[in-house]
Amino acid sequence: MILFSVGRQLFAIAAESVQEIRSTDGLASASVELAMPDFAKVTHFFERHHHNWFIVSACAHFRLPVTRPTLVLILRRARAALLVDHIERMAEISAVYSLPRAFSGDERRWYRGLAYLDDNVIPVLDPVGLLTPEEIARLDFHSASLIAEREWQGAAQS
Amino acid sequence: MSVTTASPSGSFVLLQVGKRRFALSARDVAELAPPVRLHTFPHDSPLVVGVIVRRGRIVPVYDVAPILIGRASGTHRFYLIASRFFGRVAEPSAIPLHGECELATGEVFSAASDAPPYITGTLVASGERIPVLDLEALVTYQTVAQSPASAPETPS
Repeated sequence: MILFSVGRQLFAIAAESVQEIRSTDGLASASVELAMPDFAKVTHFFERHHHNWFIVSACAHFRLPVTRPTLVLILRRARAALLVDHIERMAEISAVYSLPRAFSGDERRWYRGLAYLDDNVIPVLDPVGLLTPEEIARLDFHSASLIAEREWQGAAQS
Repeated sequence: MSVTTASPSGSFVLLQVGKRRFALSARDVAELAPPVRLHTFPHDSPLVVGVIVRRGRIVPVYDVAPILIGRASGTHRFYLIASRFFGRVAEPSAIPLHGECELATGEVFSAASDAPPYITGTLVASGERIPVLDLEALVTYQTVAQSPASAPETPS
């Protein structure tokens, strides 16, 4: 598992769910701003393997206080990348406990379960839960429109 | 826990939330736990403020104080561990308490017609009239005083 932090909150994600870890600076030039005021958690997208990948702010997604992320986790199994503050460390976690049934909200989609490590209970992210298929469809439509508009503007200028 | 009446049937645990006392059927109560560390993480389940680890299990904590006394629980002395049923599956659930518990028996009268749905009756014990709680109705009761999605971590 990779343990990472967003503000003061620690999260875990299976190492095999992460394809690549990049600095935000390193990805800045390759990404396109996606201005969707009603969809604040996704700020940018980038193209990879002929698909658009959407950069999700962990702060906005988890409704945490705004921080200054320095890293981007590019995920597998989801066309999403997650903006996080720091990688804390790697850890061997033998068991992921089911989320208690008392938790009935969006967190059932966000987390695979809970890990207990060094006296800490740490939520384990489910990468698929970052964006719903409906959200991805909406983002695909918006990003494709944005690219088409840019190409048209580029063609008009030349 | 001090026992005032040792009747095994129809027993109630008297619990203190804020300065008020409530009764919960003793059948629903598993134990009292010390105020161990509350672990919090983002979620949007009403009333749930985090989890504690008790006997190797992860137990959700419900702060019912906003419903019962109109404000968040704050510093507490114990967790009452009770069972909440999801279908046939029982899940331990913790409720922060502000004072000691007692076991009591007494006559239970119907709740007032205008009582909220989580109060099922009134227990009369030692001359005191104590509202009897229905845990399931209480933790599913919707109110504007519900806890926010992510409470600050409160180590204790």
